[in-house]
Amino acid sequence: MGTNHRIKVLISVIGLDGHSTGAEVVSRILMDAGMEVVYLGIYQTPEMIVHAAIQEGVDVIGISSHASNYDQILELLRLLKKNNLDDTCVICGGTIPKHTAQELKDRGVSEIFPPQSTSESIVNFIVSHVKRAELSSAS
Amino acid sequence: MKRETDYGHPIKPVYTPKDIENLEYERDLGDPGSYPYTRGYHPEGYRGRVWTRRMTAGLGSSRQTNEVLKRYRDMGQKGGMLVICDRTNAMPIDPDHPIGRREVGLLGWPGASLLEFEELMDEIPLTGQSITLLGSCAMSAVRLAYIVALAEKRGVDLSEVHGSVTEYPFCNNFGQTDAQPLDLNLKLWLDSSEYIIRNKIRMRSGILSQHFQESGGNNAQALAVEMAMLRELCSLLVHERGLDFDDVALLPYELVSIGSRFFEEIAKIRALRRMWAKMAREEFKAKKDKSCHLLIAVHTSGRTMTYQQPLNNIARSAIQTLAGAVAGCTAIDNACLDNAHAEPSPLAARMSLNTQHIVSDETGVTDVVDPLAGSYFVEYLTNKVEEEAYKIWSKIEELGGMIAAIEKGYIQEMLTESAQKKHREVERGERLIVGVNELVIPPEEDFQIPIQELKSGDSEGIAQRMEEWKKTRDLPLIEAKMAQLYSDAKKGESYNLMPSIVDAVKAYATAAEIIGVIRKARGLSYDPLETIECPFALK
Repeated sequence: MGTNHRIKVLISVIGLDGHSTGAEVVSRILMDAGMEVVYLGIYQTPEMIVHAAIQEGVDVIGISSHASNYDQILELLRLLKKNNLDDTCVICGGTIPKHTAQELKDRGVSEIFPPQSTSESIVNFIVSHVKRAELSSAS
Repeated sequence: MKRETDYGHPIKPVYTPKDIENLEYERDLGDPGSYPYTRGYHPEGYRGRVWTRRMTAGLGSSRQTNEVLKRYRDMGQKGGMLVICDRTNAMPIDPDHPIGRREVGLLGWPGASLLEFEELMDEIPLTGQSITLLGSCAMSAVRLAYIVALAEKRGVDLSEVHGSVTEYPFCNNFGQTDAQPLDLNLKLWLDSSEYIIRNKIRMRSGILSQHFQESGGNNAQALAVEMAMLRELCSLLVHERGLDFDDVALLPYELVSIGSRFFEEIAKIRALRRMWAKMAREEFKAKKDKSCHLLIAVHTSGRTMTYQQPLNNIARSAIQTLAGAVAGCTAIDNACLDNAHAEPSPLAARMSLNTQHIVSDETGVTDVVDPLAGSYFVEYLTNKVEEEAYKIWSKIEELGGMIAAIEKGYIQEMLTESAQKKHREVERGERLIVGVNELVIPPEEDFQIPIQELKSGDSEGIAQRMEEWKKTRDLPLIEAKMAQLYSDAKKGESYNLMPSIVDAVKAYATAAEIIGVIRKARGLSYDPLETIECPFALK
């Protein structure tokens, strides 16, 4: 994939959201693309996700969202900042309305993938993001 | 483009009498109203009664949802109301729970207490329409207690209330999750079901393939899973609770998910009627004809509603609604054009209800029962989906039935594989979806639709109200009811907790308090999320 290490991605559903299919499908796509996936499952609080991200040292956090609970994602961003993990790339996927998607991006989410996004678009985004991060830390 | 059914069976360009040469009319179809009921239960079909045309409601506070329900009534929804519960309710945790307060009311009606049910039903009759509350299995007994308590308060004869407020214990595996273990869900479902049957309440219980299918399962699997669930749950009521099958058979209703594979969806429902009738008569030895009628409602598929070009979803919903109508069903609620964006906006809700009325009042579909019977293709598909479903169902039975198959991970694995396959098929262009992998337009040119959203802070408002209100209750009375419930919950699996749950609900104990106390009696933590402590001194 052209990066120096195997990319490690944390995939989780957040808060009380119980829709796990999207997260499971995406986890499989990323594993098939050669990435290491830490899948947390459902009922993960922002605190639990940040804790796991620190423990596992992941490059990317992917949140699957189908429950309109965007405050939980904002809380996750706040906690990452508090733990000096602002540079961890956060991506979201799911049924997120456009203007909410823009608001989340303004607050620090790197990319939002709407339903039916292609595997290629998700994999390419992650690979190029991790490459860029490596280049900037090397320079 | 793949020319095969969604369960992978190849489709030929034309079907002839040879494809159904073994079909015997009386044995395999029968007239509408005759065994095996493939063609439906009523000789007159929709001429006697058109299906209940309804829309899901549930967003924000109970008062807000009540307003929506009243608006739906003005839009022509008179036959039945359908409310979906929110995520705090599903677990259940109360709206003022530290984790619940961030998202209470976002995805449905919070419904944490009888107070909220009273607010939900304000100025709305309990009788004369079906009352359906969709939510998790864990909350089944509590939702049923709301009905019992409110009927009593209003002086309404409970036997005149109909609808469904309880749901099957397997939804945790199919995306409709709560936070309770399977054994507890099973107990609460059996308790509520037994209570309904023994008290001759006209409430059904949802034993649904919809969640399975909306999570990515295919048509044959959905039929197999539905039959396996029905078989196991009915057996438990007959053998463990000592009920008569002819009474048990009046309990289940099935919500079928109908996607865009028009003929296959119709075949699935026709096959389901036949499969249930055969099981009822041959295995359960049903004595009454009525026991061979499985009540079937339709949910048009939210999964097929695309984020891209959302107005296209109106066309999809119309086709799916027509499929449900042609197949024959008791009620339809259709997914809205904005399903992939947010909860239904008033515009989307009106479009959905109008779609149903266009189908029922303009197309002529209500004139004739089972209009596709005798079609070589549809009869072939009905046989085929049934045959494939029987294969999967036998495999489930070989593993020991539905509960055993879930414990062994068989059902979950089957579902995951099917969901992956569906995703790959779309990605490879083997299945076309307009606006997604065909006729795509740039996102900036996409249709603009109104989005129904809660304002930030609405959840916190509901949480604060709950916090304040809880303190105003008759706390000694609640303590006493909780002590009773706790002691009853220690009396063994078959000791029915419904009477003590009804008492607790009448005293305004909340959902999380009731389920929490039952959890404690079973040696579990009071709070399923292990964040708060039990507020009662239980002995």
